Amino acid sequence: MRLDLRNSSAAMFVALGIAACGGGGDAGSSGGGDTGGGAAPPAATIDPATVGTISGMINFAGDAPAMRAVDMSGEPDCAAAYTGGGPMTQSVLASGGGLANVFVYLSGGVSGAPAASGAVTLNQENCRYAPHVLGAQAGQDIQITNSDNLLHNINASPTTNRGFNISQPRAGITSTQKFASAEVMVPVRCDVHGWMGAYIGVVDHPYFAVSGANGSFRIANVPAGTYTATAWHEEYGEMTGSVTVTAGGSADLSFDYSASMAGADVPLGEPLVVGHDGAHTHAGQ
Amino acid sequence: MKGLRHPFLQGAIVIAVGFVIFKYVIGYVLPVFGIASAPVPASVVFQYTLTVLVGVLLYMSAEESRWEKFREPLKRTMVDHDRRRLRGVLMVAIPALVGWLAYQNVKPSFGAPATLRSVHPAPPNQITYRGLPIELRGLENPLRHSGTLEEHVAVGRAIYTKNCVPCHGDRLDGDGHFAGAFNPIPADFTAPGTLPQLTESFVFWRIAKGGPGLPQEGAPWNSAMPAWENILEQDEIWATIIYLYEQSGASPRTWEAEGEEGAEE
Amino acid sequence: MRLHQAVRFAVLALFLAVPAAVAQDAAAGKAVYDLWCAECHGAEGLGDGSAANAMLPRPRNFSEARYQVRTTGSGELPTDADLVNVIQNGLPGTTMPGWPNLSDSETGDVIAYIKSFSRFFGQGDAPQAMDFGRDPGGGPAALEAGAAAYLALECEACHGSTGRGDGTSAPTLEDWRGLPIRAADLTEAWALNGGSSVEDIHTRVLTGLDGTPMPAAIDAMNGGVVTPDEVWQLAHYVASLGARETPPLLEVVRVGRADGALPADGSDAEWEDVEAFHFPLGGQVIEIPRNFAPTVDGVWVQGMHDGSDIVLRLQWNDPSRSPDPLWDEWQVKLMGALDMDGADSIALDSLGAPTLRPADAFTVQFPFEIPEDNERPYFLAGSARNPVYLWRWNSQDGVSAARGRGMESFEDLVDDPVVGDASWADGRWTLYVRRSIQSEDALSFTDGVAIPVAFSAWDGSSAEMGKRASISSWYYVLLEQPPSSTVVVTPLIAMLLTGAFGLVLVRRAQDRGRA
Repeated sequence: MRLDLRNSSAAMFVALGIAACGGGGDAGSSGGGDTGGGAAPPAATIDPATVGTISGMINFAGDAPAMRAVDMSGEPDCAAAYTGGGPMTQSVLASGGGLANVFVYLSGGVSGAPAASGAVTLNQENCRYAPHVLGAQAGQDIQITNSDNLLHNINASPTTNRGFNISQPRAGITSTQKFASAEVMVPVRCDVHGWMGAYIGVVDHPYFAVSGANGSFRIANVPAGTYTATAWHEEYGEMTGSVTVTAGGSADLSFDYSASMAGADVPLGEPLVVGHDGAHTHAGQ
Repeated sequence: MKGLRHPFLQGAIVIAVGFVIFKYVIGYVLPVFGIASAPVPASVVFQYTLTVLVGVLLYMSAEESRWEKFREPLKRTMVDHDRRRLRGVLMVAIPALVGWLAYQNVKPSFGAPATLRSVHPAPPNQITYRGLPIELRGLENPLRHSGTLEEHVAVGRAIYTKNCVPCHGDRLDGDGHFAGAFNPIPADFTAPGTLPQLTESFVFWRIAKGGPGLPQEGAPWNSAMPAWENILEQDEIWATIIYLYEQSGASPRTWEAEGEEGAEE
Repeated sequence: MRLHQAVRFAVLALFLAVPAAVAQDAAAGKAVYDLWCAECHGAEGLGDGSAANAMLPRPRNFSEARYQVRTTGSGELPTDADLVNVIQNGLPGTTMPGWPNLSDSETGDVIAYIKSFSRFFGQGDAPQAMDFGRDPGGGPAALEAGAAAYLALECEACHGSTGRGDGTSAPTLEDWRGLPIRAADLTEAWALNGGSSVEDIHTRVLTGLDGTPMPAAIDAMNGGVVTPDEVWQLAHYVASLGARETPPLLEVVRVGRADGALPADGSDAEWEDVEAFHFPLGGQVIEIPRNFAPTVDGVWVQGMHDGSDIVLRLQWNDPSRSPDPLWDEWQVKLMGALDMDGADSIALDSLGAPTLRPADAFTVQFPFEIPEDNERPYFLAGSARNPVYLWRWNSQDGVSAARGRGMESFEDLVDDPVVGDASWADGRWTLYVRRSIQSEDALSFTDGVAIPVAFSAWDGSSAEMGKRASISSWYYVLLEQPPSSTVVVTPLIAMLLTGAFGLVLVRRAQDRGRA
């Protein structure tokens, strides 16, 4: 594994600095950013005829705890976007027997994966991260955009990877970041708005998904085979299951969470809170 | 060379050297060589210099020919026609100097008043530790005779780091992050005038009884040193003392050396 | 063009030379580390040394290689020169001192050892400093542009509109471990952990302080929010917000004699012309429970009198106006993070909010009588035998006088004529106190005499109460005497007498010479 998480524009500066050329950074460029990826399986070409789909549900039993109101009065522009009872915290979003924002990924049985391509996006809108839980492949570009015309900072605190903390004081600013190694999960926080939190699940392959509002998820283009799958939720912790994918087929996979699992051990990349007996402070929304 | 034999110049040199010694050597040069000392107050410097002046005059006037020779340059300046310019300058400069000195004396001053404080006051023969008497005279560090040095240093290091670092600093030089808030400033254990000059029993006394345990001449009301007997066990203080000496590379003064000096006195 | 190339080459050579100049012997570094560093940073470099929880911010965990003071981009490793800088100069405002006593080779060795704690070093290319461009220079126009950049980058969200670390986000800030952390007070640049020069500040703005909420503004600059020149001007502006060096300690507050009326309150414009004296405050670490990480680190004191009354204005920075429920989270987190040294913990209610929100408080301390000799009451709130005379203020009850016999033993002096008022604005308290110079029951202020005075402060939102205070030693107040003719007359008489004496001496000598 090599250290390779860099702010790409900063990397541009390093690359260009000594030559005294100056110049702006094209945020999407790969300059200096992908020297690593040693931990990722070698890139493999997948035959489309041999792939299938995993689709399933994150079920939720019991009564979801009431979410607390978030005080956005310090940012009236954001607060105005929420009508009715909002804004509320988002740590447990359960509706119709499904649980949203569960990160599901294949944790065993994957041998080889296509190289990362394209980019995933993390948006800051109305003083919230959208999405709240996000998956990315190791080495894949993560485009972080500010849609609010006010200051956010994006402070990622991974342990296996290098972190970053970038300010975006205006709407329209985009930063491109990437993580070199698999890490479930990387907590992301906005220090300006203490309520803003997000999680990025980084895995070595593209076989991951995040459950939607009704608890459903779908992972496409999975090579036929038998896998171990893991689900991760910020309040209720991890569950694992097994799934067999056949060529052209659609495999079912579901996880059953329940309200009684509250207080479960929620693993992050490595323990983040040291010597601090207060509340778990990276829980975000 | 011939000029040096002139009594007037000799007298002037003796007075100048005396002044320099009182004013600077005692207060600022001696500490460089590890001899505990402090700047001499201006009034005392004035007194001493005056004493030297009287001594010089007495010596010069003891013999008629020397006195004549000593007076000669003064007389010539007052009388000779070719020194009238120098005479004029002195007639203005000396009253001006006196006037300036007088002004310095009477002008309103906003400096801190001089406070005298004995940095290493004489220790008592006996102290109490949480009410129990301990004889200081001849007292050795009991941990020197039990356990290993490494153990004691490790214990002392942890105690020092939590309790002493805020004032005395990680480097033991009295420059901890709170040091600037305290006056007098915390002791510098790396200075040659501190640990090497002291027996371990003296250090134990200072740690156990702290500022409140100082005698009057040590200005106990000013010292921010806690009385650690309220917080630490005796063995913890002894271990901290071992750490101080090991970490600073100094050796404690022994009772034998203390006895010799006592005999000299 | 030639010259440019030569300069470029020289810069390049310098870059390559710096790491080479530092010796790298991790084994030798271990000896240095174990001797001087391990007790705070831990034997394994995890930042978990024996005294770590008495320190906020905590000692660095070297295994994470997350460094605040760097010349490299956010999230990148520091250069060796960055590490040398921190080891030699320390991190002002924290418990990390500089280590100028280590030789260059010892420093190099210990850096090699520190790097060996982390898996991140030694992989890929050596970290390279960013190109920070050229400083276009300071001046009034630059400061104006810098102030605009301060707003454009929304620095005030955390640092506050005047830079005292009192921004709206300040109460919820936490470091990478979830421990509470202050937004830097930019008006006390001498305590900025990355240094107080314009270059230092510029570098911190563009690289951020990893592990803290301070982000790198590089993408904002590249995104056009501010230009590279404006980032430099911002650094000039921040450097202009306060003194770069610790203010000199003058020990004596000069209480001038007013010609007309005394200032009527703390906001009176007349104070602008009165000299202010700075006194550093440190944590109360003498009696248990001790305060290892105090909020208030100094106070500015001004004084005036008119022969019948004395007024003092005291100003100190405190980002929270306690009690304030917005700081509940801070108070709870701080109590969980810091070694409270046995202080009674403040209970939490069912919603996790503290059941007690202490007030902010301040005390001005005098002896009851002007000491005739050196002796005075014990500086730490007096003693049973020799009490102190106190002007006590807190944000809920205002100003009152008391007799103090130790830090938690007070007796109100209800008839004392001291009055006062305090106001809080932009992260700073301004306390105004007034009393008659003469008093029958307590200290009478005699002009021309240095009168001992000491100060203490409490920040309620950091659960500071009782002995958990910031304190000072004894200093002095000195009331200016009415103008006196002796100041002029005495030297004149001395000059005249000396001159006359000289004339007589010379005349006599000349007469005798002729005779």
